This record gives sequence, C-alpha cells and structure tokens, in this order.
Amino acid sequence: MDLSKCRFLGTGPQISVFCLQKLLGFFFFFCVLSENVSANSIQPKKSTENCLHLGKHFKRFMVEGEPVILNTPFPKLHNKIFFSLHYNLSWHKNDSDKTLLGTSKSGRIWMDNDDLWILPASLEDTGTYICTLRNASYCATRSVELKVFKKSEASLQYISYRQVLVTSGPGYLVCPEIKNFIQDRNKTEIKWYKDSVLLDQSNKKFSILKGSIYCLINNVSLDDSGYYTCELPFVYKGVKYNITRHVKVHIMKKKEETIPVIITPNKTVLTSLGSKLVIPCKAFFGLGSRSTTLLWWTANNTFLDNVYKKGRVKEGQRLEYSENNKSYIEVPLIFNSVEKKDLNTEFICTAKNRLGTQSLQARVKEELTFSWGIAVAPLSLIFLLFIGIWIHRRWKQRPEKVYTTRKSMIIGHDCQTSTPYRKEMI
Amino acid sequence: MGSRKQTYRIWDVYQKIFYMRNKELVAGYLQGQNTNLEEKIDMISIEPHSVLLGIRDGTLCLACVKTGNTAHLRLEEVDITDLDKDRNRSKRFTFIKTENGSTSSFESAACPGWFLCTQMEADRPVGLSNTQEENVITRFYFQRELQE
Repeated sequence: MDLSKCRFLGTGPQISVFCLQKLLGFFFFFCVLSENVSANSIQPKKSTENCLHLGKHFKRFMVEGEPVILNTPFPKLHNKIFFSLHYNLSWHKNDSDKTLLGTSKSGRIWMDNDDLWILPASLEDTGTYICTLRNASYCATRSVELKVFKKSEASLQYISYRQVLVTSGPGYLVCPEIKNFIQDRNKTEIKWYKDSVLLDQSNKKFSILKGSIYCLINNVSLDDSGYYTCELPFVYKGVKYNITRHVKVHIMKKKEETIPVIITPNKTVLTSLGSKLVIPCKAFFGLGSRSTTLLWWTANNTFLDNVYKKGRVKEGQRLEYSENNKSYIEVPLIFNSVEKKDLNTEFICTAKNRLGTQSLQARVKEELTFSWGIAVAPLSLIFLLFIGIWIHRRWKQRPEKVYTTRKSMIIGHDCQTSTPYRKEMI
Repeated sequence: MGSRKQTYRIWDVYQKIFYMRNKELVAGYLQGQNTNLEEKIDMISIEPHSVLLGIRDGTLCLACVKTGNTAHLRLEEVDITDLDKDRNRSKRFTFIKTENGSTSSFESAACPGWFLCTQMEADRPVGLSNTQEENVITRFYFQRELQE
C-alpha cells in the first residue's frame, strides 16, 4: 500500500506515517518512543523492567481451541519494523514468571513476523501480553490483553463485533481480524451464516466473492439485522482449524429529507416590557435526516451573538423530536428582559437544509399592562354608578309630590279629552 | 447562534469504527465490550454543507494542516463551540460534507481535494487522502443515533 496517498497525524507529539516512510530507522524508533512522552524524558534503558511503557491496546476476546494472533502493537512498515535498523522485538506474558514467549517454533506459542501466534488458544492464555522493542540504546513496551472464553461461556454478546448497515441500498459486512489467516487468497472461501443458516450462492440477496472477506447485501432491509457468523478454514501442520468471527448486525432506516416547513412562531407575540419572553421556532423536516438541517434566529438580519453581546436575547437549546413519526426541530428565542427597542426589531427564524430554505418573522408587540388609568377606570365607573343611584333615590323621595301633581295634571288633562285613554294611563 | 453541537456515529463503508489509541484516532473493528471505546463525532453545521467536526464532546477538533503539497489530519485541543463563534479561525476545521445515498464524505475546506479517510487495514490512523485508491476509504456512514 502506498501510504503516501493517505497521510495521518494525531494529537500532540504524534508520528506522521509519511515522515516515517522517508526517514531512517533510528528516527523512526525515536518517533515511536516520542509518541507519548517528550524527547527529554527518554533515557537509555538496559532491561525490560526499565523500559518505557507506551500504553495498552484493547482486549481481544477469543474462544478456546481457536488459533489466535496477537499483532505487534508497534506500527509496521511494509511488514517490517525498523526496516533499516537492528532491533529486537520480544513478547512475554505479564505473569509471575515473565517468561519470554515464542522463542521456539515447536510449542503452542510462537512468533512470526513480530506477531505472536497462539495455536490453539486455551483458557490459561488469558492475561496481559507485553511486547518489548529495543535496540542498543532504547527500549519501549506496549501491552495487549487477551481473554479466552470457555466454549460454553462464550456468549455472543461478549465476542461479537458490531456492524451497522442502512436500508435501501447495498452494504458490506466484513469478516473482521481474519486477514492473517488467509493462506492463499485465490482459494480462500469464507462461509457466511445468518442466525446459523448458511448463506449460499442460491441466495440472491447476498454476494460472497471468492478471496474476499466481505459479504455484500444487495438491498439492505430491516430484517437483515441479527447475528452473522463467518468461518474460514485454516490448516497448520496438517491440522485443520476453523477461524470463526461473530458479527452483530444492526440495520438503520434511511431517513428521507424534505424541504423545511416552519410551523411556529405566530406572527405577533404579545408581551410586556421588562418581562422574560420565549418564542419557540418549530420546523418540520419530514421523515428525514436532521444532520444537515439548520435552524437559527436573526435580529434585523444579523446573528444574535453579534447583536446582543451580553446575551440579553439569545437562542436556547436546539431540540429534536418526533411526533406521530414526523421529525421536528425547535430552537427557542429567549429574551431575558424585553426592551422597547425589541418592538421595532425584526426577529426572523430561518430553517435551511440542502433542499431549501424557509423564514418566518416574529413581531414582538406590547400587551396592555397594569396602569393607573386602567385601574382607576372601573373604580370611576363604580363611583359614578353609586352617584347615579344616590341621585336617583333622592329624586324618587323628593319629587313624589311633584310627580303626583304632574300626574294629576295629566290625568286632569286627559279627563277632559278621552276616558279610555285615561284608564290606560292609570 | 447558540450551540448547535450534535453527536453522530461514524463508521466507514467497511464497518470500521473510530477509536483512540495512544492519543491517535484510528479505525478498526470493535468487539464485545470494546464497542464502548467508540469515538463519536460532535458536529456543528455552519452551512448546510459545511461542518465542524470534533470528538470528546467537541474538545478535540479535526483540522487539516498543509505541509508543502501534503495535507495532514490533526486533532487540536480547541472547543468546537468556540470555533463556531470565530469563523475566521475555523477554516482549517471546516469540512464539506457530501451525501451520496446512505453514505457521506468529508472534504477539507482548507485543503481542497483532500478527504477524510481510513485504510482498508484495520487499526490504522484516520487521515486525509487526495486519491480514489482502492485501499483508501473516503465514504462513511454518518448517523445521528442507532435504531435497534
């Protein structure tokens, strides 16, 4: 592989693979050592005990009886560590004996191309393995952990790899950490099982190519989830082993994106000066992915952060939720205290994704609040009413006679004209 | 704008998951309880196609750094929310996210033509690539959450 086509760097004093490829072994060694420590702290080491420990790799979980390869935790270049440097790489287990492993090829454990082979693995192989790298003046170690399960205790959840596919298209499953066991690429045939059922060539849904570690699912659907097993026969010294890997496959539904539609805010929001106010902007994005959908507020076409440096008006936490299987995003506009100038500001909520944009303006209006005018008005009315009643009573008491006089006058007048009418009046 | 940081799961089309190994972001197959080591991506969209990417709750951000004709991926200790506020500083942290079917690719805005990549071989560093070579993977699944 031409590493110069893909360049890598990590944080801090990291190694650049590109640089390593070009530099000589000594510098490479220096780089390896300096991955975790500054150059000043590196001291020449003579024994393994005083080696610089550069961290551990995650645990490998295997089942007894299977061949195991612990790859060297030091970076390899063209399958050779320190291609131009004399170095010594050794493995030992971190137990009381600290015996060197793989020194002879006759046992169950041996070293091949700096990797440690354990064939077959047994329960007592569980433990921490330390890989030591040294030259005349420097020494570094890294550790790898191995857990070997009893066959009867190797529950799928402990040993399976997690893989995820998305519906409505093709997708690859991979038989992981198996490449080292491929002896002849052209003849390699990995068998795949789904929930213990062999996936053979007659099954049009799956394509398994000879020599490949992949299983292609042509059109991924939700019912493709489950446990898959891949199996590779491996022959060593006339003994046939099966390398088995378990994969737990999750299927995700592909989400469809639509043009955003803003549902709230209402165009006019009533509030009172000095009070706190929250105006939610809620947008509908269909059934789709929300990964590239944006929702934000502006004040007079400027981002809020630029207008309200102290945060008197700001955006609240973005919420994403589903209602009746439909996706919504909500971003509230929060006023710590509404001021008069807010009444003349254009607050606009904008929703945007790669399919389109929509904006909606919210106008803040002052609601009639408590004032003396408003408080006094009903009191005045009540007062006037009482006055009215009082006057009315006074009028009723005193003008009794006057009224009688008037009445009699009218009666008198009527009497002279028409009796039926007079009766009606009485 | 307020904080619009969202967390995503990322894995390449050959099922390799991101994790940290000795302060380096690498991609490999995670088994059993190791799946807890998965590094999720914190993302802020600054435009529908432009995103800032970080890990560890947005405290380590992915940046493109150019040396001569070569671009490198670097993790920098900077808060993704601060980058969102300071657009002048955020260019090398900006990636153009392109969706193609179920997968996405991430091209560095500061290093045009260089895409976020993994290698076919497991447990190798995540980096940047400017080629479409077979053994370099630039297509990723990028999903908000797992629906199991």
